[in-house]
Amino acid sequence: MPNRRQFLTMTAGLVLAAGRWPAVLAQGSETATAFVASTGDKLVAVVNGPGTLAEKRRQLTQIVDGAVDVDTIAQFCLGRFWRQATPAQQKSYVELFHRVLVTNITAKVGEYKGVKFTIGRSRAQDDDEIVSSLVERPNNPPTNVDWVVSNPTHNPKIIDVLAEGTSLRLTQRSDYASYLSHNNYDVAALIAAMRQQAEQNKE
Amino acid sequence: MRFVPRLPTMLSRTLRCCGTVGLLAGLLAGCATPPPADNPDAVAEFKQTNDPLEPTNRVFYAVNNGLDTVILRPAALVYRAVVPTPVRTGVHHVLNNLGTPVQLANDLLEAKPHRAGNTTMRFLINSTVGLLGVLDVAKGWGYPDHDADFGMTLAGWGVPEGPFLFLPVLGPTDPRDTAGFAVDIALDPFTWVGGDNEWRRVFDWTRYGLSALDGRERVLDSLDQVKKTALDPYATFRSLYRQHRQGQIDEMRNADQPSAPGQGSQPAGADQNK
Repeated sequence: MPNRRQFLTMTAGLVLAAGRWPAVLAQGSETATAFVASTGDKLVAVVNGPGTLAEKRRQLTQIVDGAVDVDTIAQFCLGRFWRQATPAQQKSYVELFHRVLVTNITAKVGEYKGVKFTIGRSRAQDDDEIVSSLVERPNNPPTNVDWVVSNPTHNPKIIDVLAEGTSLRLTQRSDYASYLSHNNYDVAALIAAMRQQAEQNKE
Repeated sequence: MRFVPRLPTMLSRTLRCCGTVGLLAGLLAGCATPPPADNPDAVAEFKQTNDPLEPTNRVFYAVNNGLDTVILRPAALVYRAVVPTPVRTGVHHVLNNLGTPVQLANDLLEAKPHRAGNTTMRFLINSTVGLLGVLDVAKGWGYPDHDADFGMTLAGWGVPEGPFLFLPVLGPTDPRDTAGFAVDIALDPFTWVGGDNEWRRVFDWTRYGLSALDGRERVLDSLDQVKKTALDPYATFRSLYRQHRQGQIDEMRNADQPSAPGQGSQPAGADQNK
Protein backbone atom coordinates (compact mmCIF):
# COMPACT_ATOMS: atom_id res chain seq x y z
CA MET A 1 0.00 0.00 0.00
CA PRO A 2 1.52 3.38 -0.90
CA ASN A 3 2.53 5.67 1.96
CA ARG A 4 1.46 9.30 2.16
CA ARG A 5 4.51 10.65 0.28
CA GLN A 6 4.06 8.11 -2.51
CA PHE A 7 0.38 8.93 -2.63
CA LEU A 8 1.10 12.65 -2.93
CA THR A 9 3.70 11.99 -5.64
CA MET A 10 1.25 9.82 -7.58
CA THR A 11 -1.51 12.41 -7.22
CA ALA A 12 0.83 15.18 -8.36
CA GLY A 13 1.87 13.02 -11.30
CA LEU A 14 -1.76 12.40 -12.27
CA VAL A 15 -2.58 16.09 -11.96
CA LEU A 16 0.42 16.99 -14.10
CA ALA A 17 -0.50 14.31 -16.64
CA ALA A 18 -4.08 15.57 -16.72
CA GLY A 19 -2.77 19.10 -17.11
CA ARG A 20 -0.84 18.00 -20.16
CA TRP A 21 -3.95 16.60 -21.88
CA PRO A 22 -5.30 19.90 -23.19
CA ALA A 23 -1.88 20.66 -24.69
CA VAL A 24 -1.73 17.22 -26.34
CA LEU A 25 -5.30 17.56 -27.61
CA ALA A 26 -4.64 21.06 -28.92
CA GLN A 27 -1.55 19.79 -30.68
CA GLY A 28 -3.58 16.97 -32.29
CA SER A 29 -6.24 19.44 -33.32
CA GLU A 30 -3.71 21.82 -34.90
CA THR A 31 -1.91 19.01 -36.71
CA ALA A 32 -5.17 17.52 -37.99
CA THR A 33 -6.45 20.92 -39.16
CA ALA A 34 -3.16 21.70 -40.92
CA PHE A 35 -3.16 18.23 -42.48
CA VAL A 36 -6.74 18.56 -43.81
CA ALA A 37 -6.10 22.12 -44.99
CA SER A 38 -2.99 21.06 -46.87
CA THR A 39 -4.72 17.99 -48.38
CA GLY A 40 -7.75 20.06 -49.37
CA ASP A 41 -5.58 22.76 -50.91
CA LYS A 42 -3.67 20.14 -52.90
CA LEU A 43 -6.91 18.57 -54.17
CA VAL A 44 -8.35 21.95 -55.13
CA ALA A 45 -5.11 23.01 -56.83
CA VAL A 46 -5.21 19.90 -59.02
CA VAL A 47 -8.92 20.23 -59.81
CA ASN A 48 -8.66 23.92 -60.70
CA GLY A 49 -5.23 23.70 -62.26
CA PRO A 50 -4.08 23.09 -65.83
CA GLY A 51 -3.42 19.67 -67.32
CA THR A 52 -5.37 16.95 -69.05
CA LEU A 53 -7.97 14.86 -67.25
CA ALA A 54 -5.60 11.87 -67.25
CA GLU A 55 -2.83 13.93 -65.62
CA LYS A 56 -5.23 15.27 -63.03
CA ARG A 57 -6.38 11.76 -62.18
CA ARG A 58 -2.79 10.61 -61.72
CA GLN A 59 -2.09 13.56 -59.40
CA LEU A 60 -5.30 13.02 -57.44
CA THR A 61 -4.47 9.33 -57.01
CA GLN A 62 -1.13 10.32 -55.48
CA ILE A 63 -2.82 12.71 -53.05
CA VAL A 64 -5.43 10.11 -52.04
CA ASP A 65 -2.73 7.47 -51.54
CA GLY A 66 -0.76 9.77 -49.27
CA ALA A 67 -3.60 11.23 -47.22
CA VAL A 68 -6.30 8.54 -46.97
CA ASP A 69 -6.04 5.30 -44.98
CA VAL A 70 -7.66 3.32 -47.79
CA ASP A 71 -6.93 -0.13 -46.29
CA THR A 72 -8.64 0.70 -42.99
CA ILE A 73 -11.68 2.16 -44.76
CA ALA A 74 -11.86 -0.86 -47.07
CA GLN A 75 -11.80 -3.27 -44.15
CA PHE A 76 -14.48 -1.27 -42.31
CA CYS A 77 -16.73 -1.22 -45.37
CA LEU A 78 -16.69 -5.00 -45.72
CA GLY A 79 -17.77 -5.33 -42.06
CA ARG A 80 -18.21 -8.87 -40.78
CA PHE A 81 -17.55 -10.28 -44.25
CA TRP A 82 -13.87 -9.32 -43.95
CA ARG A 83 -13.36 -12.31 -41.62
CA GLN A 84 -15.20 -14.62 -43.98
CA ALA A 85 -13.16 -13.62 -47.03
CA THR A 86 -10.11 -15.69 -47.98
CA PRO A 87 -6.72 -13.91 -47.96
CA ALA A 88 -6.81 -13.85 -51.77
CA GLN A 89 -10.31 -12.31 -51.71
CA GLN A 90 -9.21 -9.74 -49.13
CA LYS A 91 -6.30 -8.74 -51.37
CA SER A 92 -8.48 -8.45 -54.51
CA TYR A 93 -11.13 -6.56 -52.56
CA VAL A 94 -8.71 -3.97 -51.13
CA GLU A 95 -7.14 -3.42 -54.56
CA LEU A 96 -10.56 -2.93 -56.15
CA PHE A 97 -11.76 -0.73 -53.28
CA HIS A 98 -8.78 1.52 -53.81
CA ARG A 99 -9.49 1.71 -57.53
CA VAL A 100 -13.20 2.39 -57.02
CA LEU A 101 -12.50 5.08 -54.39
CA VAL A 102 -10.04 6.93 -56.60
CA THR A 103 -12.35 6.60 -59.62
CA ASN A 104 -15.28 7.94 -57.59
CA ILE A 105 -13.28 10.92 -56.37
CA THR A 106 -11.83 11.73 -59.76
CA ALA A 107 -14.88 10.79 -61.86
CA LYS A 108 -16.21 14.32 -62.03
CA VAL A 109 -12.94 16.21 -61.98
CA GLY A 110 -13.59 17.99 -65.25
CA GLU A 111 -16.93 19.35 -64.10
CA TYR A 112 -15.78 20.79 -60.79
CA LYS A 113 -13.39 23.42 -62.02
CA GLY A 114 -13.91 26.44 -59.78
CA VAL A 115 -14.23 24.44 -56.57
CA LYS A 116 -13.56 26.35 -53.31
CA PHE A 117 -12.48 24.85 -50.01
CA THR A 118 -12.75 26.70 -46.68
CA ILE A 119 -11.42 25.07 -43.54
CA GLY A 120 -13.48 25.42 -40.35
CA ARG A 121 -13.13 24.36 -36.74
CA SER A 122 -12.11 20.99 -35.42
CA ARG A 123 -13.18 18.80 -32.53
CA ALA A 124 -11.91 15.60 -30.92
CA GLN A 125 -13.92 12.38 -31.05
CA ASP A 126 -12.40 9.48 -29.14
CA ASP A 127 -8.87 9.14 -30.52
CA ASP A 128 -9.72 10.87 -33.80
CA GLU A 129 -10.00 14.50 -34.76
CA ILE A 130 -12.86 15.82 -36.90
CA VAL A 131 -12.03 18.85 -39.04
CA SER A 132 -14.94 20.80 -40.55
CA SER A 133 -14.85 22.46 -43.94
CA LEU A 134 -17.12 24.08 -46.46
CA VAL A 135 -16.83 22.89 -50.03
CA GLU A 136 -18.31 25.06 -52.77
CA ARG A 137 -18.68 23.57 -56.23
CA PRO A 138 -20.07 25.42 -59.24
CA ASN A 139 -23.79 24.78 -59.75
CA ASN A 140 -24.10 23.09 -56.35
CA PRO A 141 -25.20 24.37 -52.95
CA PRO A 142 -22.27 24.74 -50.52
CA THR A 143 -21.70 21.48 -48.64
CA ASN A 144 -20.50 21.07 -45.06
CA VAL A 145 -17.82 18.39 -45.19
CA ASP A 146 -16.21 16.95 -42.04
CA TRP A 147 -12.94 15.04 -42.34
CA VAL A 148 -12.28 12.34 -39.75
CA VAL A 149 -8.54 12.12 -39.09
CA SER A 150 -6.94 9.22 -37.21
CA ASN A 151 -3.63 9.51 -35.29
CA PRO A 152 -3.91 13.32 -35.47
CA THR A 153 -0.66 13.96 -33.62
CA HIS A 154 1.80 11.50 -35.15
CA ASN A 155 0.63 10.11 -38.47
CA PRO A 156 -2.60 11.80 -39.58
CA LYS A 157 -4.68 9.91 -42.15
CA ILE A 158 -8.24 10.50 -43.33
CA ILE A 159 -10.45 7.56 -42.32
CA ASP A 160 -13.90 8.99 -43.15
CA VAL A 161 -15.60 11.93 -44.84
CA LEU A 162 -18.94 13.24 -43.57
CA ALA A 163 -20.87 15.20 -46.20
CA GLU A 164 -23.80 17.05 -44.55
CA GLY A 165 -23.62 14.54 -41.71
CA THR A 166 -23.64 11.45 -43.92
CA SER A 167 -20.63 9.20 -43.51
CA LEU A 168 -18.91 7.97 -46.64
CA ARG A 169 -17.77 4.71 -45.07
CA LEU A 170 -21.08 3.95 -43.32
CA THR A 171 -22.96 4.52 -46.58
CA GLN A 172 -20.50 2.36 -48.49
CA ARG A 173 -20.78 -0.37 -45.87
CA SER A 174 -24.60 -0.35 -46.20
CA ASP A 175 -24.26 -0.61 -49.97
CA TYR A 176 -21.95 -3.62 -49.78
CA ALA A 177 -23.93 -5.31 -46.98
CA SER A 178 -27.14 -5.01 -48.98
CA TYR A 179 -25.49 -6.30 -52.13
CA LEU A 180 -24.09 -9.29 -50.23
CA SER A 181 -27.41 -10.08 -48.54
CA HIS A 182 -29.05 -10.26 -51.97
CA ASN A 183 -26.25 -12.41 -53.38
CA ASN A 184 -26.02 -15.29 -50.88
CA TYR A 185 -23.45 -13.43 -48.76
CA ASP A 186 -20.88 -14.34 -51.40
CA VAL A 187 -17.78 -12.11 -51.23
CA ALA A 188 -16.68 -13.37 -54.66
CA ALA A 189 -19.92 -11.95 -56.15
CA LEU A 190 -19.22 -8.58 -54.51
CA ILE A 191 -15.68 -8.54 -55.89
CA ALA A 192 -17.01 -9.37 -59.37
CA ALA A 193 -19.56 -6.55 -59.14
CA MET A 194 -16.90 -4.09 -57.95
CA ARG A 195 -14.64 -5.11 -60.81
CA GLN A 196 -17.46 -4.57 -63.30
CA GLN A 197 -18.25 -1.18 -61.74
CA ALA A 198 -14.60 -0.10 -61.87
CA GLU A 199 -14.45 -1.01 -65.56
CA GLN A 200 -17.71 0.83 -66.33
CA ASN A 201 -16.66 4.01 -64.53
CA LYS A 202 -13.16 4.09 -65.91
CA GLU A 203 -14.02 7.02 -68.14
CA MET B 1 -35.49 23.49 -44.54
CA ARG B 2 -37.72 20.95 -46.17
CA PHE B 3 -40.42 22.63 -48.22
CA VAL B 4 -43.86 21.29 -47.50
CA PRO B 5 -46.35 22.09 -50.23
CA ARG B 6 -50.06 22.37 -49.63
CA LEU B 7 -51.55 19.20 -50.99
CA PRO B 8 -53.64 20.28 -53.97
CA THR B 9 -56.57 18.17 -55.04
CA MET B 10 -54.77 16.68 -58.01
CA LEU B 11 -51.80 15.62 -55.95
CA SER B 12 -54.11 14.11 -53.43
CA ARG B 13 -55.78 12.17 -56.26
CA THR B 14 -52.35 11.06 -57.51
CA LEU B 15 -51.41 9.88 -54.06
CA ARG B 16 -54.66 7.94 -53.73
CA CYS B 17 -54.00 6.35 -57.12
CA CYS B 18 -50.43 5.52 -56.12
CA GLY B 19 -51.75 4.15 -52.85
CA THR B 20 -53.96 1.73 -54.76
CA VAL B 21 -51.06 0.71 -56.98
CA GLY B 22 -48.95 0.40 -53.86
CA LEU B 23 -51.48 -1.86 -52.21
CA LEU B 24 -51.47 -4.11 -55.27
CA ALA B 25 -47.68 -4.02 -55.44
CA GLY B 26 -47.56 -4.80 -51.73
CA LEU B 27 -49.81 -7.80 -52.18
CA LEU B 28 -47.65 -8.99 -55.07
CA ALA B 29 -44.26 -8.25 -53.54
CA GLY B 30 -45.02 -8.93 -49.88
CA CYS B 31 -42.63 -8.55 -46.98
CA ALA B 32 -38.93 -9.18 -46.73
CA THR B 33 -37.99 -12.74 -45.76
CA PRO B 34 -35.81 -12.81 -42.66
CA PRO B 35 -32.56 -14.76 -42.97
CA PRO B 36 -32.44 -18.26 -41.39
CA ALA B 37 -32.14 -18.29 -37.60
CA ASP B 38 -28.88 -20.32 -37.77
CA ASN B 39 -27.15 -17.24 -39.22
CA PRO B 40 -27.22 -14.88 -36.19
CA ASP B 41 -25.06 -12.21 -37.86
CA ALA B 42 -27.47 -12.00 -40.79
CA VAL B 43 -30.47 -11.94 -38.44
CA ALA B 44 -28.90 -9.07 -36.45
CA GLU B 45 -28.19 -7.21 -39.69
CA PHE B 46 -31.77 -7.76 -40.87
CA LYS B 47 -33.12 -6.29 -37.62
CA GLN B 48 -30.72 -3.36 -37.76
CA THR B 49 -31.67 -2.57 -41.37
CA ASN B 50 -35.30 -2.40 -40.16
CA ASP B 51 -36.81 -2.56 -43.63
CA PRO B 52 -39.45 -5.31 -43.36
CA LEU B 53 -41.31 -3.99 -46.43
CA GLU B 54 -38.17 -3.96 -48.56
CA PRO B 55 -39.63 -5.80 -51.59
CA THR B 56 -42.54 -3.33 -51.77
CA ASN B 57 -40.27 -0.38 -51.10
CA ARG B 58 -38.02 -1.48 -53.95
CA VAL B 59 -41.02 -1.55 -56.32
CA PHE B 60 -41.80 2.05 -55.41
CA TYR B 61 -38.15 3.00 -55.69
CA ALA B 62 -38.13 1.60 -59.23
CA VAL B 63 -41.34 3.49 -60.10
CA ASN B 64 -40.07 6.77 -58.61
CA ASN B 65 -36.69 6.31 -60.23
CA GLY B 66 -38.36 5.75 -63.62
CA LEU B 67 -40.51 8.87 -63.24
CA ASP B 68 -37.48 10.83 -62.11
CA THR B 69 -35.43 9.67 -65.08
CA VAL B 70 -38.01 10.68 -67.67
CA ILE B 71 -39.62 13.74 -66.03
CA LEU B 72 -38.02 15.36 -62.99
CA ARG B 73 -34.31 15.00 -63.78
CA PRO B 74 -34.63 16.32 -67.37
CA ALA B 75 -36.82 19.17 -66.10
CA ALA B 76 -34.20 20.04 -63.45
CA LEU B 77 -31.46 19.96 -66.09
CA VAL B 78 -33.45 22.39 -68.26
CA TYR B 79 -34.13 24.57 -65.20
CA ARG B 80 -30.38 24.70 -64.47
CA ALA B 81 -29.52 25.43 -68.10
CA VAL B 82 -32.14 28.12 -68.70
CA VAL B 83 -32.44 29.96 -65.38
CA PRO B 84 -29.31 31.84 -64.21
CA THR B 85 -27.86 30.91 -60.81
CA PRO B 86 -28.84 34.19 -59.02
CA VAL B 87 -32.47 33.72 -60.09
CA ARG B 88 -32.46 30.07 -58.96
CA THR B 89 -30.98 31.16 -55.62
CA GLY B 90 -33.73 33.80 -55.31
CA VAL B 91 -36.42 31.22 -56.02
CA HIS B 92 -34.91 28.93 -53.37
CA HIS B 93 -34.97 31.75 -50.83
CA VAL B 94 -38.60 32.66 -51.61
CA LEU B 95 -39.70 29.03 -51.21
CA ASN B 96 -37.76 28.83 -47.95
CA ASN B 97 -39.39 32.02 -46.71
CA LEU B 98 -42.86 30.68 -47.49
CA GLY B 99 -42.06 27.68 -45.31
CA THR B 100 -41.13 29.83 -42.32
CA PRO B 101 -44.50 29.60 -40.48
CA VAL B 102 -44.28 25.78 -40.38
CA GLN B 103 -40.66 26.06 -39.28
CA LEU B 104 -41.62 28.46 -36.49
CA ALA B 105 -44.46 26.23 -35.29
CA ASN B 106 -42.05 23.31 -35.05
CA ASP B 107 -39.36 25.37 -33.31
CA LEU B 108 -41.94 26.17 -30.63
CA LEU B 109 -43.19 22.57 -30.43
CA GLU B 110 -39.57 21.46 -30.05
CA ALA B 111 -39.20 23.97 -27.19
CA LYS B 112 -36.35 25.79 -28.95
CA PRO B 113 -36.98 29.48 -28.14
CA HIS B 114 -33.65 30.66 -29.57
CA ARG B 115 -34.37 28.92 -32.87
CA ALA B 116 -37.94 30.27 -32.83
CA GLY B 117 -36.56 33.78 -32.39
CA ASN B 118 -34.17 33.25 -35.27
CA THR B 119 -36.98 32.00 -37.50
CA THR B 120 -39.19 34.99 -36.61
CA MET B 121 -36.39 37.47 -37.31
CA ARG B 122 -35.57 35.70 -40.57
CA PHE B 123 -39.20 35.97 -41.70
CA LEU B 124 -39.52 39.64 -40.72
CA ILE B 125 -36.20 40.69 -42.28
CA ASN B 126 -36.33 38.60 -45.44
CA SER B 127 -40.00 39.42 -46.18
CA THR B 128 -39.25 43.15 -46.05
CA VAL B 129 -35.59 44.10 -46.58
CA GLY B 130 -35.13 40.82 -48.44
CA LEU B 131 -37.80 41.79 -51.00
CA LEU B 132 -40.48 39.19 -50.20
CA GLY B 133 -37.86 36.58 -49.43
CA VAL B 134 -35.83 36.83 -52.64
CA LEU B 135 -32.70 37.77 -50.68
CA ASP B 136 -31.54 36.02 -47.53
CA VAL B 137 -30.46 39.22 -45.79
CA ALA B 138 -31.12 37.75 -42.34
CA LYS B 139 -28.29 35.24 -42.58
CA GLY B 140 -25.74 38.01 -42.99
CA TRP B 141 -27.30 39.77 -40.00
CA GLY B 142 -26.65 36.81 -37.72
CA TYR B 143 -29.85 34.80 -38.13
CA PRO B 144 -28.83 31.59 -39.90
CA ASP B 145 -31.36 29.09 -41.21
CA HIS B 146 -31.94 25.67 -39.69
CA ASP B 147 -34.11 22.61 -40.28
CA ALA B 148 -37.40 22.15 -38.44
CA ASP B 149 -40.33 19.93 -39.37
CA PHE B 150 -42.85 17.84 -37.47
CA GLY B 151 -40.95 14.60 -38.14
CA MET B 152 -38.03 16.13 -36.22
CA THR B 153 -40.44 17.41 -33.55
CA LEU B 154 -41.79 13.88 -33.04
CA ALA B 155 -38.21 12.60 -32.78
CA GLY B 156 -37.54 15.25 -30.13
CA TRP B 157 -40.58 13.99 -28.23
CA GLY B 158 -39.09 10.49 -28.23
CA VAL B 159 -41.20 8.92 -30.98
CA PRO B 160 -39.15 6.18 -32.73
CA GLU B 161 -38.68 6.40 -36.50
CA GLY B 162 -40.12 2.95 -37.24
CA PRO B 163 -39.32 0.86 -40.30
CA PHE B 164 -37.97 2.38 -43.49
CA LEU B 165 -40.54 3.25 -46.16
CA PHE B 166 -40.18 4.29 -49.78
CA LEU B 167 -43.42 5.94 -50.84
CA PRO B 168 -44.64 7.08 -54.25
CA VAL B 169 -43.93 10.80 -54.83
CA LEU B 170 -42.60 11.29 -51.27
CA GLY B 171 -39.65 8.94 -51.76
CA PRO B 172 -37.57 7.72 -48.79
CA THR B 173 -39.29 8.17 -45.43
CA ASP B 174 -40.50 6.34 -42.33
CA PRO B 175 -43.82 6.32 -40.43
CA ARG B 176 -42.65 9.17 -38.17
CA ASP B 177 -41.69 11.41 -41.09
CA THR B 178 -44.81 10.47 -43.06
CA ALA B 179 -46.97 11.55 -40.11
CA GLY B 180 -44.77 14.64 -39.81
CA PHE B 181 -45.33 15.48 -43.47
CA ALA B 182 -49.11 15.34 -43.01
CA VAL B 183 -49.03 17.47 -39.83
CA ASP B 184 -46.77 20.04 -41.51
CA ILE B 185 -49.39 20.46 -44.23
CA ALA B 186 -51.99 21.09 -41.52
CA LEU B 187 -49.64 23.54 -39.76
CA ASP B 188 -49.08 25.54 -42.96
CA PRO B 189 -51.25 28.71 -42.98
CA PHE B 190 -51.32 28.52 -46.79
CA THR B 191 -53.37 25.34 -46.44
CA TRP B 192 -56.17 27.28 -44.78
CA VAL B 193 -56.14 30.84 -46.14
CA GLY B 194 -57.10 32.17 -49.55
CA GLY B 195 -60.19 30.11 -50.30
CA ASP B 196 -60.61 28.03 -53.41
CA ASN B 197 -60.23 30.09 -56.58
CA GLU B 198 -58.16 30.30 -59.77
CA TRP B 199 -55.39 32.45 -58.21
CA ARG B 200 -55.12 30.05 -55.36
CA ARG B 201 -54.64 27.08 -57.68
CA VAL B 202 -52.03 28.99 -59.71
CA PHE B 203 -50.17 29.87 -56.50
CA ASP B 204 -50.28 26.29 -55.19
CA TRP B 205 -49.10 24.71 -58.41
CA THR B 206 -46.39 27.31 -58.99
CA ARG B 207 -45.10 26.77 -55.47
CA TYR B 208 -45.29 22.99 -55.78
CA GLY B 209 -43.70 22.88 -59.24
CA LEU B 210 -40.90 25.28 -58.35
CA SER B 211 -40.13 23.47 -55.11
CA ALA B 212 -39.85 20.17 -57.00
CA LEU B 213 -37.56 21.77 -59.60
CA ASP B 214 -35.50 23.61 -56.99
CA GLY B 215 -35.09 20.56 -54.77
CA ARG B 216 -34.16 18.29 -57.65
CA GLU B 217 -31.78 20.77 -59.27
CA ARG B 218 -29.83 21.17 -56.03
CA VAL B 219 -29.08 17.44 -55.85
CA LEU B 220 -28.54 16.77 -59.58
CA ASP B 221 -24.83 16.03 -59.27
CA SER B 222 -25.08 14.17 -55.95
CA LEU B 223 -27.85 11.81 -57.11
CA ASP B 224 -26.09 11.15 -60.41
CA GLN B 225 -22.97 10.27 -58.46
CA VAL B 226 -24.82 7.86 -56.13
CA LYS B 227 -26.55 6.10 -59.02
CA LYS B 228 -23.27 5.80 -60.86
CA THR B 229 -21.15 4.51 -57.99
CA ALA B 230 -23.48 2.44 -55.77
CA LEU B 231 -23.83 -1.29 -56.29
CA ASP B 232 -27.27 -1.10 -54.68
CA PRO B 233 -28.58 2.49 -55.04
CA TYR B 234 -31.77 1.68 -53.07
CA ALA B 235 -29.77 0.57 -50.02
CA THR B 236 -27.46 3.55 -50.42
CA PHE B 237 -30.37 6.02 -50.49
CA ARG B 238 -31.87 4.26 -47.45
CA SER B 239 -28.64 4.74 -45.52
CA LEU B 240 -28.17 8.34 -46.69
CA TYR B 241 -31.75 9.27 -45.78
CA ARG B 242 -31.48 7.87 -42.25
CA GLN B 243 -28.07 9.42 -41.59
CA HIS B 244 -29.20 12.80 -42.92
CA ARG B 245 -32.34 12.83 -40.76
CA GLN B 246 -30.40 11.69 -37.71
CA GLY B 247 -27.93 14.52 -38.34
CA GLN B 248 -30.78 17.07 -38.48
CA ILE B 249 -32.34 15.66 -35.31
CA ASP B 250 -29.01 15.68 -33.42
CA GLU B 251 -28.45 19.28 -34.48
CA MET B 252 -31.94 20.22 -33.28
CA ARG B 253 -31.35 18.49 -29.91
CA ASN B 254 -28.05 20.31 -29.42
CA ALA B 255 -29.51 23.68 -30.42
CA ASP B 256 -30.34 26.34 -27.82
CA GLN B 257 -27.59 24.91 -25.59
CA PRO B 258 -24.70 27.38 -25.87
CA SER B 259 -22.10 24.89 -24.64
CA ALA B 260 -23.55 21.88 -26.44
CA PRO B 261 -20.97 19.66 -28.09
CA GLY B 262 -20.98 19.88 -31.86
CA GLN B 263 -22.39 23.38 -31.95
CA GLY B 264 -19.02 24.95 -32.32
CA SER B 265 -18.09 22.59 -35.09
CA GLN B 266 -19.87 24.43 -37.85
CA PRO B 267 -17.42 25.99 -40.24
CA ALA B 268 -17.77 29.58 -41.26
CA GLY B 269 -20.57 29.81 -43.75
CA ALA B 270 -22.41 26.77 -42.46
CA ASP B 271 -26.11 26.71 -43.23
CA GLN B 272 -25.40 28.46 -46.49
CA ASN B 273 -27.08 25.66 -48.33
CA LYS B 274 -30.27 25.85 -46.35
